[in-house]
Amino acid sequence: MQSASNKSRPQDGQGNGAVKSNGGVETTSVLLSAKQMLVVPSVFILALFLISLLPRIQSNETLTVSFWGACTALLLWAVFLFRNALTSGKRKGFILTKPKPQHYIQAMVHMSVYVYWGWAWPPVQEYALLLLAQLFFAYAFDMMLAWSRRDTYLLGFGPFPIIFSTNLFMWFRDDWFYLQFIMIAVGFMGKEFVRWNREGRMTHIFNPSAFTLGLFSLILIVTGTTDITWGAQIASTLSLAPGIYTYLFIGGLVVMYFFSITLVAASAAIVLFALSALYFSITGVPYFLDSEIPTAVFLGLHLLVTDPSTSPRTPTGKLFFGVLYGVGVFVLYTVLEMFGSPTFYDKLLCVPLLNLSVQWIDRVVLPLRKNQTLERLGLGVTPSRRANLGHMAVWIVFFASMTLMGKTDSRHVGDSLPFWAQACEEGRVHACDRMLLLESTYCTDNSGWACNEIGAQYYSGKYVEADPERALGFFSRACELRFQAGCLNFLDPSTISVTQPRAFDLRLLLREGGQNLMEMSEPDLYARACEHGWAYACTSVAVL
Amino acid sequence: MNNQKITLRTWRACVGRYCVFLLISGLCLQSVFAQNTSSTAQLAAQLQGFRADAWFLPDDEMLGFVPIPAGSFPMGSNPLIDPMAFENERWSQTSRQGIVELPDYYISRFEVTTAQFAAFVEATAYRADPQSQQQALNHPVAYVSWTDAVAYSRWLDKTLREAAFLPPALKDFLMEGAHVTLPNEAEWEKAAKGADGRIYPWGNQMQSQRANVASGGTMAVGSFSCPECLFDLKDMSGNVWEWTRSAYQDYPFEASNNRVNLAEDALWVMRGGSYNDESNNARAAVRGAADPGARRPFIGFRLVISKQ
Repeated sequence: MQSASNKSRPQDGQGNGAVKSNGGVETTSVLLSAKQMLVVPSVFILALFLISLLPRIQSNETLTVSFWGACTALLLWAVFLFRNALTSGKRKGFILTKPKPQHYIQAMVHMSVYVYWGWAWPPVQEYALLLLAQLFFAYAFDMMLAWSRRDTYLLGFGPFPIIFSTNLFMWFRDDWFYLQFIMIAVGFMGKEFVRWNREGRMTHIFNPSAFTLGLFSLILIVTGTTDITWGAQIASTLSLAPGIYTYLFIGGLVVMYFFSITLVAASAAIVLFALSALYFSITGVPYFLDSEIPTAVFLGLHLLVTDPSTSPRTPTGKLFFGVLYGVGVFVLYTVLEMFGSPTFYDKLLCVPLLNLSVQWIDRVVLPLRKNQTLERLGLGVTPSRRANLGHMAVWIVFFASMTLMGKTDSRHVGDSLPFWAQACEEGRVHACDRMLLLESTYCTDNSGWACNEIGAQYYSGKYVEADPERALGFFSRACELRFQAGCLNFLDPSTISVTQPRAFDLRLLLREGGQNLMEMSEPDLYARACEHGWAYACTSVAVL
Repeated sequence: MNNQKITLRTWRACVGRYCVFLLISGLCLQSVFAQNTSSTAQLAAQLQGFRADAWFLPDDEMLGFVPIPAGSFPMGSNPLIDPMAFENERWSQTSRQGIVELPDYYISRFEVTTAQFAAFVEATAYRADPQSQQQALNHPVAYVSWTDAVAYSRWLDKTLREAAFLPPALKDFLMEGAHVTLPNEAEWEKAAKGADGRIYPWGNQMQSQRANVASGGTMAVGSFSCPECLFDLKDMSGNVWEWTRSAYQDYPFEASNNRVNLAEDALWVMRGGSYNDESNNARAAVRGAADPGARRPFIGFRLVISKQ
């Protein structure tokens, strides 16, 4: 970056290219002229505008207007800063320093998750352009926010993990995409404005992405508008990628190694595994619908809650923090279910609260500093890389054991509809609700059988409050999906017809959180159905 | 003096521009108004013969419903009389046609129109295919699935029961347990060809001036005069295929046998052929079938009031 002119001298005591050592890290500051202060953000704004001209963006009017609105707001801000710089003569600039590993390593791990997930779920590939656009927006916004508050902007990879981790959990639909820009902006503002003094240093309280995700989740739930995002689809499609738990586990090891957050992620996961097992042993049904830990929660406990800047410093504190996250997710899952809200917000809502409690956690664990046993186990108050490696070893053994026991990527009992139907008949806790939820999900996936079943439930009122109008809607959908019983029920609901799923329905019903089984041969399909508890399919297997 | 000239010139220029603006605006307004007037007149013409105060049902004593007397009729085709008969019109292995006995029922004279279906969509905020609303108001509604047709019939059934002006005969019939619904195959075929076993609704020979077949698109319902047709029903052949409430399966026909073959993918019978078909599909015994979710430009429906 070149200096603007020799006439304007740096006013903060640092010249262009001034180098100073900051805690052993060399930093270079570059000051810009007023004109350059307009040009640099404008480059990002122009990039954002050019993206808005592409067919993907132009295909939706609201999306295009959202982009142009974002460009206009940023441009006005840039002009305002330019005028200010002209009138005051005060120069702003960049601080260039060695890239921070917590930015670029986290970003690389995030990126690898996108690539793997996108390979299994094509909408992620289509979304790449919107992700890129958000990065341009984030750089321009963050830069101008910094210049509005102080003289320099730390140029680096900071916006990458914020954008990537936010988008790993929530995207607004095209018709509401302006809210995505606002959500990103709120994340950066939270980082800039909501700060506290922590161990003598002013730092942000909240993990920026978790803060904005938590805030927006709350607003969406309260206003009953959760369907304007892709949140539910994101949470459910992660499992389309084969072996996703193992993949996230390996990615998580990278983060654990570099940032010593093993205790946070591992303790959260272990608590969730333990609570799930306890719930199953008491009730006879799984706590989470179709997994021991939902994939998106497993992702969250590796890549959302583990920001080193907003989690406790001490090993004991990290352990405590992870345990609280695990308990928080577990409790929120039920609370959200009770209020009829989508449960995938469980992993998002508790992170800001935990960020708020880190100083308290650090204080609570302080008396343990004299406990030699904890120190020896690496669970005291003194961080140690060696202890982190030990914790990683324990976590690897634990995860491997869970995998061998079929608690991660293997088939889960909650995947089986006959299991839930049986559990519902037996009056087990939440079993009927879960059965309806699964049927509703498969109906959305185009299983005519599932639509007819849920329609029959709403018509009879046996397991859910009777709602004939809603039932007719489900019968109509079943019929349009060529499920004959659905047509008959739609025509004359006074005699409800139900029958077994067709082969086509089984291809959806037996996917176990993965891809639909469109290519599977009929004998294999019926064998799988038999394993899932469909008794009629066992007879078909014998015939085939 | 110079200043005065400049001011005057500026004023003149302004007034001139203002006049041009007024002229252009006036022309635009006039053309818009003219368009509106002509489209209003067109709409009025399209809705002639239908009651705007009765969901655009036909403006006659019985709201367009025609009584079909009880009795038997020969169902299916006899290839000895009708060489174009398809195999699926055969009654059984042993007989070509079957005799079917039906009680009294009413059938609508016209196919359900775009205006009638639009009234239903408006009243219920039903999520219909937008293309179903884009045809002329007096044309048969198209781009409707079997479920759309059933939803309309259910709504009209409820609406007519609550209507104050319902003809007493229809009211009594509904009170006796009848329902507004789609015709079943037998009800449709009997209404089309009666008991005399004719091939087309007007007789045994194809007459292109009696039905909208092999043409480029739908026409207003009742456009074709058909004095030979039974019961004065319109467009029983051609214009659009008409959904029935019979699942597609082999004959012999039984009104109550829809619940057979639940494991098969659904197919529902449609009758009468359409503008998109040749004359062989205009025969009264022709059986078409379609996916219940199909919304096509050549599929519509008509209604019956039936106790079956």
